[in-house]
Amino acid sequence: MKKPKPKPTMWFPRKGSLRYPLAMMIGMSLIHSPQSIALPFANHATAEVIRLDRTVTGKVKDENGEPLVGVTVTIKGNNAIGASTDLNGDFSLIIPENLISNATLVFSYIGYAPVEAALGEQNTFDIALTSASNQLEQVVVVGYSAKKVKYLSSSVSTINNEKLRDVTSNELPNLLQGKAPGVVVSSASGDPTSAGRILIRGAGTISAGTSPLIVVDGNIGGSYNPVDVESITVLKDVAATGLYGSRAANGVIIVNTKMGKAGKTQISFANTMGFAQATTGNFRLMNSQQLYDFQSTFYPREASVLQTNTNWWNEAFRTGFVNNHTISASGGSERTTFYISANYYKEQGTQIENDKTGYNFRANLQSQLTNRLTAKVLFNGTFNKDNYANSNTLYDAYNNLPFDPAYDADGQPIDGRTYPNWLGRDRESFLHSVQYNYSKAQSLNVTTDVNLDYELTDKITLSSYNRINFGNGLSASYNDKRTKQGGANSGELYNGTSYSSRLLTSNRIRYSEDFGKHGLTVLGVAEAETTYSSSTSAAGKGLPPGRDVMSVATDILTNPTGLNEQVGFRKFLGQADYNYDNKYFLVGSFVNEFSSLFGKNNSTANFYQLGASWILSNEEFLKNNKTLTFAKLRASNGTVGNADGISNFASLGLYTISSDASYSGLPGAAPSQKGNPDLTWEKIKSSNVGFDLSFFNRIDLVVDAYVKEASELLYRKPLAATTGYSYVWVNAGSIRNKGIEFSLTSTNIKGKDFNWETNLNMAFNRNKVLELSDGSTVFNSGARQPIAVGHNMDEYNLPIWAGVNPENGDPQWEKVVKDANGNVTKELTSTYNQAQTADSRQFAGKTAAPKFTGGLSNTVTYKNFTVSAFFNFVYGNWVYNESRVYFDNDGLYESYNQMVLAKGWSRWEKPGDVVTHPKPIVGGNKDSNQSSSRYLEDGSYIRLRNVRVGYSLPDNLLGKNGFSRVSVFVSGDNLWTGTKFSGPDPEVTLSQVDLSSGLSSLRYPISKKYLIGINFSF
Amino acid sequence: MGALLFVTASCEKYYEPTTSIDEESALTNAADVETATIGTYAVLLNAAYVRSVHFLMEYPSDEVAQGQSSGDDLTRAYRYTHINTSGHATNFWGQAYKVIAAANKIIAYVPDESSVILRQLKGENLYLRAMMHFNLVRVFGRPYTQEGGNNPGVPLLMDGMSDDAINNITRSPVKEVYDSVIQDLIKAADLMSEDKSNSFASKEVAQALLARVYLYKGENENAIKYADLVIKSGRYKLVQGGEFSSYFKTAPASNQETIFAIRHTKVQDRGFSAIGSMYFSADASGTAEGQGVSGWAEIYASKKYVDFLAKNPADLRSNFISPYTINGVLQHNIKLSPSTPMYYINKYSMQEGVINLSSPVYLRLAEMHLIRAEANAKTGKTAAALEDVNLLRQRAGLSGNALYTVGNLGAKKVLDVVMEERWLELAFEGHRSYDLFRNNLPMERNYPGTHSLNNTPTTNITQKVLPTDARTIFFIPQAEIDRNPKLTQNP
Repeated sequence: MKKPKPKPTMWFPRKGSLRYPLAMMIGMSLIHSPQSIALPFANHATAEVIRLDRTVTGKVKDENGEPLVGVTVTIKGNNAIGASTDLNGDFSLIIPENLISNATLVFSYIGYAPVEAALGEQNTFDIALTSASNQLEQVVVVGYSAKKVKYLSSSVSTINNEKLRDVTSNELPNLLQGKAPGVVVSSASGDPTSAGRILIRGAGTISAGTSPLIVVDGNIGGSYNPVDVESITVLKDVAATGLYGSRAANGVIIVNTKMGKAGKTQISFANTMGFAQATTGNFRLMNSQQLYDFQSTFYPREASVLQTNTNWWNEAFRTGFVNNHTISASGGSERTTFYISANYYKEQGTQIENDKTGYNFRANLQSQLTNRLTAKVLFNGTFNKDNYANSNTLYDAYNNLPFDPAYDADGQPIDGRTYPNWLGRDRESFLHSVQYNYSKAQSLNVTTDVNLDYELTDKITLSSYNRINFGNGLSASYNDKRTKQGGANSGELYNGTSYSSRLLTSNRIRYSEDFGKHGLTVLGVAEAETTYSSSTSAAGKGLPPGRDVMSVATDILTNPTGLNEQVGFRKFLGQADYNYDNKYFLVGSFVNEFSSLFGKNNSTANFYQLGASWILSNEEFLKNNKTLTFAKLRASNGTVGNADGISNFASLGLYTISSDASYSGLPGAAPSQKGNPDLTWEKIKSSNVGFDLSFFNRIDLVVDAYVKEASELLYRKPLAATTGYSYVWVNAGSIRNKGIEFSLTSTNIKGKDFNWETNLNMAFNRNKVLELSDGSTVFNSGARQPIAVGHNMDEYNLPIWAGVNPENGDPQWEKVVKDANGNVTKELTSTYNQAQTADSRQFAGKTAAPKFTGGLSNTVTYKNFTVSAFFNFVYGNWVYNESRVYFDNDGLYESYNQMVLAKGWSRWEKPGDVVTHPKPIVGGNKDSNQSSSRYLEDGSYIRLRNVRVGYSLPDNLLGKNGFSRVSVFVSGDNLWTGTKFSGPDPEVTLSQVDLSSGLSSLRYPISKKYLIGINFSF
Repeated sequence: MGALLFVTASCEKYYEPTTSIDEESALTNAADVETATIGTYAVLLNAAYVRSVHFLMEYPSDEVAQGQSSGDDLTRAYRYTHINTSGHATNFWGQAYKVIAAANKIIAYVPDESSVILRQLKGENLYLRAMMHFNLVRVFGRPYTQEGGNNPGVPLLMDGMSDDAINNITRSPVKEVYDSVIQDLIKAADLMSEDKSNSFASKEVAQALLARVYLYKGENENAIKYADLVIKSGRYKLVQGGEFSSYFKTAPASNQETIFAIRHTKVQDRGFSAIGSMYFSADASGTAEGQGVSGWAEIYASKKYVDFLAKNPADLRSNFISPYTINGVLQHNIKLSPSTPMYYINKYSMQEGVINLSSPVYLRLAEMHLIRAEANAKTGKTAAALEDVNLLRQRAGLSGNALYTVGNLGAKKVLDVVMEERWLELAFEGHRSYDLFRNNLPMERNYPGTHSLNNTPTTNITQKVLPTDARTIFFIPQAEIDRNPKLTQNP
């Protein structure tokens, strides 16, 4: 069949790649027209009158010989003339007469290294582009534009789809862990319905949020499913994050979803299946014999208890199944492309009753409506069903006694309430309750984006990005009257609904022009958003067994609740971006932002950002250097704000009128919040210097050093009770984070069949409280982690545990004594009150913040096999293992199970014993389990986060069956963890939540997962 | 584009909260004063107030026995093993001052000379401020009868104080706190003229508390005077027979003996977090069941109290105890040795048929008779004292030799029988430890309970706490000292 010849076309500086509409932004600075023509079709007329032009044609393919569609072909130094390849990879370009001599063609395509070819006498060109595995050539979206990494003045990390999705989870943070330097992800639970928390470059705030801002497809917020993510860009320094103004203080994570690629429609199936088991680390609970032997030393326990040996942990945990199935189709014509996908995700938690089911649909369409107008319509709908663990399952798994039976003679779960001589404290068996009880939620989220880009002239582009976000949630908890939880009220039902809608519009104007070697781009943005949310809840009681709808409830349990609230933001920004000869780059921006969250006196704030970089390797003295193949220096400085995490009306003095303020059935109003009309944005001033080096085009090293200084910190300051309030929101003092981070990627071996690549990334962050308002030296004094000048904000301040008195087995703490002259001496005391005083509590240099964090990955490919292993590690943090209060408390609870002493621990038995654990006494030994440094443990760990072996069917087998790609893999998540921590899992939340971090409570440990996958496309 | 910019700029808008109101608009007219006063009462409903203060006041007594150890701070109140970070002491302190601060705003807003309605509301807030200061000084300050009230009391938080004064507030001596409480109550009684229901303060409520304060202070004549005023007001009566037996199952509004109770409506059932949950566990009909069915049920009536009550099997007050039996056999909590008999207390359960619902009674007429009796006994008016005691014993179904005459007292002094009657009548209502210590009497426990865990061996079940013991009062919450170092700690 004869292929139609592509028609010669004039190049209009439109979006170079259909996959990356934003990439047009770089196109603008690289490609520009010398003419300032107003109307698009005038160009055609001009084309026809040129007589002595030359027409060149050719084909562009990728490294596998597949035609590439939409490749930009331009003439170097004269970007007004250009063409793009069609569905078959063919192009045709008319070169005006005046440009023929010395012309060089440039072939560029996003994600591929550009290729230049001198025109010479040649009229046909067959070009092969190779994908830009080199990070420097990647195009990333920063702020409101896209750039190649090598031209950036900022510190960014990018993670592509493949790297992102080695681990199996439906939550993005869990996928990001250890993948980029300075991005610390910590998950507080193995619950598949909960996502980890992300902390970028340390926490710089006390009470405001520490989560980075998520920007999906060019606009703040939005929804996405990890399967549809094309790439993630993490913006860390202020030159990049600053454009997001007020909400970028904690860094920005830019999520780009997949767009279709012109060409043959490709349909892909991706399937992952496997199972998960809870990790238990170094932690062991006692069995009957162990507990009996221990308790017999201090408590009269009858030997008959040994007749039962229930392993409650095993009853509470199970092997959970994981399924993740995606079908997607992408393709399109030169002018219109599409990507559509459907995903089903189901993960059973390792804890019984707990699972997550997700359904996700996405349709991304892009169309070149006219030569100057491009429209993009993105639609995403997700429906989630979460089932939560209920009926105190986790609590009982840790604490129930092995002496109490789980099942009766018929194999039915026993009700602890009625079983004679149940010995456990709470007379509770979750196994009985979960037969009838549940706790669940479902949510529907829909996001629709309509984005328009219009080229007013060759130099000016107008864009309007608009989003509607809609969310609806339902929750229900049911405690059946037959169970302990529902018995007292003859059945309880809690129903909740929530609704939110968010409207956002972002309107942009961009001007771009080159003057010889000078390139300038100017951007202006006006943006507004408003969020409306409402919720209601109702609780009823008196329900017949198994009847879980509100209409059968015979009475109300608590008053119904409901509220609706609205928040608004408005932002103006301007940015100028200048470069000289692709060697020197300068960027500067200014942001003015308003938020309804703040006090009327201070609701608007201004922020600025400056960045500069210098590509040394483009200088004569480094050109053609075979060792140092790329070198760039970067520096940036600027300010951003933080408005996250504070309550919607934080600045107002409030009386609550909720039902909590009602009395005797009458409505009331009670003072609830002290006002602060001067409350304003938290401001973060940040500087970053860094360099990007590439050796032999094989080793890439990116190093950054930064200082982030937050001032006017938002702080929910606790007040003395005599003020009549619990807290007030204030702007208080200053905190500094400084650190160094690096990423080293090395292609160790690159051969025809065998490749080996290693990446190591590490980040070192140091935090210090510089100053507090009103000359205070400490906020939240008496807390486990007070905010104290000169200290890390995560540092512990506790009574110092001084071990066990060898004489009598009593616990001991340090008591600090000050004499009249102010001399300080330390004594030992066995009276807790003497240690729990402002003088005796001490900073011992132990903090919940890690000294460093990082990740190490190795990927080896041999022919069609790929083997990869990925470790993440956290070092030098201390975890407060709070749950030992329950199961390691020297006899306080004879009716809770106890942990087997960890390695190196020992108990006092007789005078003279030098041990770690006091003499056990029924009811506890002198408050030995009260808050002190006793329960602080080294939280360092290294974890094999993922290991994977993959195999792709060779091409010669594929062709026959119509498949274009078939691959299979086996994969394991979290198979091994190295740690000294005594609990089941050393991972804790490393960012502050409610003024505390590094806390390990009764933990739902993360899962080990064993998975197999099969992916195929045709 | 210009239009878009304009639209964008017009988004600069503030929004109002929907579940709160701006404080500037909270107190602007008479109707607001009533709404805000309701809000002041509502603070009393917080578990951090009503539950914590109950634990602090009742658990040190010899009326109750904790049958198993617990990590909850309530154990320390029971065992006298206090720590300065006590959760319940911190809760109570915080909520009590919240009530005072809310009351102060209204007291400052309403002039003394205003409408009948506003004077009433101002009086109610003065009453609440006095009640809080009085509870605080009892929990954190030594009895008035020690050192003539010159021991450190608690900070007196008054209306009109500057922020600076509040931030640097110090503990006033016990005496000054009492003086302030008395002054507030006298003024409150003067301002109030509406006979509001017993869920709210009124003239007689203020007078009833005055009677108690004077008794604690040792001003017996004034105690008699105010007790008399309340008794003779005719607003209250001692409920009789079956009505008495179901006293605490009745909603306050229907109970003619209650002077002031912290009203909990049916939607304010606290479930396992209710006061009653610590005492009682039952099926939906109120029949005692094992621990964990409807409550924790780990604090029981002490064997000492039950044995004393059992001396008169006809005593209707035994209805306030529901022994947990299976097939007629009394059950024991076997966690301790010797084990603790499970005599459930039901004074905080089954209001309006809801297991864990109760409206804790703060003042009731029986106490007025006992105050008058005690003051009469102390001032040598034996016959008058016995008359009040017998009135309560008759109401409890006792007759004949169970009633006292000057002749049948035997070795007992009249004050002894008054104190015994107080113990029988007001048990579990938070009076006992104050009654003993203010009268310079020790707390003696000789019955099974976790106080034995203080001893070696733990089978020794005796405990004797002298009225001078440092731990008869609680530590000032360390967190408050950390925020205001001007507060001194109790030894």
